[in-house]
Amino acid sequence: MKKEVFRMERVTFKEKGTTPLENFNLIIREGEIMGLVPINHIGLDALLRLLRQNLPLHYGYIYYQGNLVNHWRYSTMKYNRISLIQNESCLAGDLTVADNVFVLRNGFKKWLMRPKVLRQQLEFFTDEIGVEISGDTYVDDLPPFERFVVELLKAVVSGSRLIVLEDIGAFIGNRDLERLHEIFRYYSQKGISFLYIAGHMEDAWKICERVALMANGQIIKYYYSDMMLPRRFHINESEDYERHVLERTRRHKKNQDSFPVFELVNVNTKSIRNMNLALQPGECVVLQAMDSAVFSDMVGMVSEETTPLSGSGYLDGERMTSAIDRRLGVIQEFPIQSMLFSNMSYMDNLCITLDHRFPEVWSKQRVRKSIYEEYSPLLGADCFYSNVNKLTEMQKYDLIYTRILLQNPRAVICIQPFKRAEVGLRLRITEHLERFLDKGIGVLIVAVNLADTLTFADRLICVARGKEPVEYRREEFGTLPIDVPWRHLYREDEEEPETDEE
Amino acid sequence: MKQKQPSAVKRILSIRGMGGALTAFAGFIIIYLVFGLINNQVFTGNNIMNLLRSMAKYLIIGIGQSYILITGNIDLSLGSVVGMSAMLSATLMCAGVNPIVAILITLVCCLVIGVINGFLVGKCQLPPFIATLGTMFVARGIAYMVNGNRNTDAISSGIGQEAANVFQNFFYYGKTLGIYNAFWIAIVLFIIFFFLLQKTRTGRHIYAVGSNIEAAKLSGVNVVATITKTYLVSAFCACVVGLILCGQANMGNMEAGNTYEMYAVATGVIGGISPLGGTGLLLGTLAGAAVWQTLENGLNMIGAQVGIQRLVIGIIVVLAVLLDVVVRRGVFKKKAV
Repeated sequence: MKKEVFRMERVTFKEKGTTPLENFNLIIREGEIMGLVPINHIGLDALLRLLRQNLPLHYGYIYYQGNLVNHWRYSTMKYNRISLIQNESCLAGDLTVADNVFVLRNGFKKWLMRPKVLRQQLEFFTDEIGVEISGDTYVDDLPPFERFVVELLKAVVSGSRLIVLEDIGAFIGNRDLERLHEIFRYYSQKGISFLYIAGHMEDAWKICERVALMANGQIIKYYYSDMMLPRRFHINESEDYERHVLERTRRHKKNQDSFPVFELVNVNTKSIRNMNLALQPGECVVLQAMDSAVFSDMVGMVSEETTPLSGSGYLDGERMTSAIDRRLGVIQEFPIQSMLFSNMSYMDNLCITLDHRFPEVWSKQRVRKSIYEEYSPLLGADCFYSNVNKLTEMQKYDLIYTRILLQNPRAVICIQPFKRAEVGLRLRITEHLERFLDKGIGVLIVAVNLADTLTFADRLICVARGKEPVEYRREEFGTLPIDVPWRHLYREDEEEPETDEE
Repeated sequence: MKQKQPSAVKRILSIRGMGGALTAFAGFIIIYLVFGLINNQVFTGNNIMNLLRSMAKYLIIGIGQSYILITGNIDLSLGSVVGMSAMLSATLMCAGVNPIVAILITLVCCLVIGVINGFLVGKCQLPPFIATLGTMFVARGIAYMVNGNRNTDAISSGIGQEAANVFQNFFYYGKTLGIYNAFWIAIVLFIIFFFLLQKTRTGRHIYAVGSNIEAAKLSGVNVVATITKTYLVSAFCACVVGLILCGQANMGNMEAGNTYEMYAVATGVIGGISPLGGTGLLLGTLAGAAVWQTLENGLNMIGAQVGIQRLVIGIIVVLAVLLDVVVRRGVFKKKAV
C-alpha cells in the first residue's frame, strides 16, 4: 500500500454565503497520477485554493505528507508546498530559466548569484527528463511546451510532493502532451504525486491510474485504471450534446461550392508551413494546432502580434491588410476576461461593434431601444439593467456571442471556445456557434484539444510544426487517429447510441 | 544530453536590456562626436572633466529611479528628497553640527521617506504615481520649513571654513586621480548598485516583481520588502545628490533638485530601462546619463537657447522609448496578411 501524500477528510468549506465544497473527501497517494474531471466548476476553485493554502474550514481535516495541516477548529492560513500549474504562467518572463527554477522559490537562501552553478544544476534536471532547455534563456522567449517544463521543474526543485495540473490538455498540443506524460510518469516513479484536472474523462484516462468525477463540490465516483471506461459518460447534459452532434451531422452539407468568405493562401510562419484554407459561408472549420508553437503562431496572427513570413489572407475576396476588420469577428480565449468592458453598461457592451452598421447607435435612443426589444427575450431583460461584472458566466458568454452576432461578420474566428467551460456552458457556446452557422457566417475554430470542437465542424485541419497541414472531412472524423470524446458519434457505420448503462 | 554553451560574448549580448544600453552608448558617442565636430572645445580635457562631474548627479538619481522603474513603479518624490537632503544637511551644518553627524541625520530622514514610499506602494498598494506625488510635496514642504522658508547661509558660517572646504571638496570640488570626486562617488555607487541588481538574490527579486508580481508572490518573494528596498535605494541616491548640491553651492537651496525625478526617469528610459518594469540594466542608466549630460553640455557649447535644449532633449527621450517599443514589438514590421 502506497503512502498517502494528501488527504481531505469530510471537508466542508463555506465562503460568501455559499458552500462550494461539502463533505469532500480526497486521497492522493505517493507517486500517483490521479485524475479529476469536474462536470461543473462548483467547488473546483475552492479546492485549488485549499490545496495551496490552509484557509478556514467549516468542518473537516486536511493532511499533507502525513501531517495535519488544516482542520476546522484552527487554520494557520499558511501555504502548503503544493504547486499548481495552470494556463496562466507562474513564471517571471523577464528572468532566465535558471533564475525562475532556482532563485524564485521559498527557501533559496544564497545571496550571491552564480549563474554558472545554476546552469549546471539545471542541466542535471533537464538531462534527467531528456529535455534541452538553456538556463540562460529568458522565460518570455520559450515556446509553451518548454515554459511548461520549466514550471514543472520549478515545482520539483521547490520540493513539492504534489503537483496540480489544471486542464493542460487545453493549451498543450497532442505531441507535446505525450512528451509531458512521459515526464509525469518519470516523476511519479520518483514519488511525486500529480492531480491531473481534465475537462474530459478521455483526457485524464490516458495517463491517470484513478480518475475522480466531481460534481457540485463533491466527488461522485472514482474510476480505476483496471475498470472498463464506460463507452460514454452519461452525465445529464451528454444526451443534449449527442443530439447536437447528430443533428449537425444530418444537416452537414456536402460539396459546398459557394464563394469563400475567408481565405488563407500559402501562409507561412516560424512553425506553420504552407497553410491554405477556404472557409465557405455557414461552414465550420477546426484548425487543430498539434504543437504549442503552432498554436502561439495562430493566435499571434489573429491578434497581430505574429507577422507571417509570407502568404496572404482574403476576406470576401479582398486582400486583408489587417486582422482588425469588422467583417471578421474574433472571439478570444477566455472571452469573459478579455472581451468585456467592465466599466461600461450592458447595452454599451452589446453595441460596441455595431456602429459600422448603425452609425447613429450612440446618438439615437431608438436604435438601442429596438435592440433591447429584440434581444431582451433572448438575453433576459434583467441583464440590461445589471452591472456587467455581476452577470453569471453564462450571461457574460451570451453577451459576447450576441455582440458578435450583431456585428454581423462574414466569418468568425474563435480561439479555444470551450476551454475551461463546464458542460452546461459548453452546450450554450455550441448553440451560439450554431446560430452563427445558421446565419451563414463562416466559423473558424482554433483549438489545441479536439474535445467538443468537432461537434459542428465540417472540416478539421491538423497543423503540425514545420509540416504541411492535413485535412479531414466530417465523414472521416470517425477514423481520426486520435482519441476524442464522443468519437463514436461520427462513425456512420456505428449503431445508434445506446441508452444510459450507468 | 549535453548542451552547447554559447560564447561569453554571445551570452553577454543576449542579456535582456543590453541592447538598449548599447544603443544608448552608441547614441552617446555619436552625439559627442557631432558636437565635437561643431565646436572643438567639446573635446578639451577641461570640458570632459566638467562633463563627468555634471553627469554624476544624473547618474546617481538615474540609478535610484531605475531601481524603481524595474519594479514597474515610479518615484516622483526623488527630486524633492534631493532638495530636502540639501536643505537638511546645510541647515544642520549652519547650526554647527559636525558634517558627518549632519550627513547621517540627513540620510536617516531621507530613508524614512523611502520607507514611507515603500509602505504606501508595497503594503497599502497605492498607485505609485499618487503615493510618491504625496511624499513629493511632503519632502519639498520639509525642505521649505527646515530653515523657516528661506535658503540657508553658507555652511562655513556654522562649521567653519576648513570643515566646509573639506565637505565641499569631498562631494564636489575635490579631485582624486585627476577626476572630480563627484564622479568617483557616482561610479562607486554605480558599481555597488550594479552588483546588487545583477549578482544578488535581492536583484533577482526586483526583476521578478517588475516582471510578474503575482508569480513573484507565489514564488515566495516578499514583494513589500522588495519594493521598499527599491524606494530605499532611491531615497539614498537622492540623499547623496542633495549632499553634492549642498557641496556645490556651499549652502542649502529650497528649490534644489526641482524636476530631478523627471530627469531620472529620462536617464533610465534613454538607457533602455523599461517603464513597464522587469527589464533594464544599470549600464543603460550610465549611458542614459552620459547622453543626457552630453546633450546639455553640447547644446550649451554651440550656444543653443535653453528652450532649444529642452526641446531636443524631449525629442530624444520620446525617440528612445519609441525605439524600445519598435524593437520589442516590431510595430513597423511589414504585415504579409
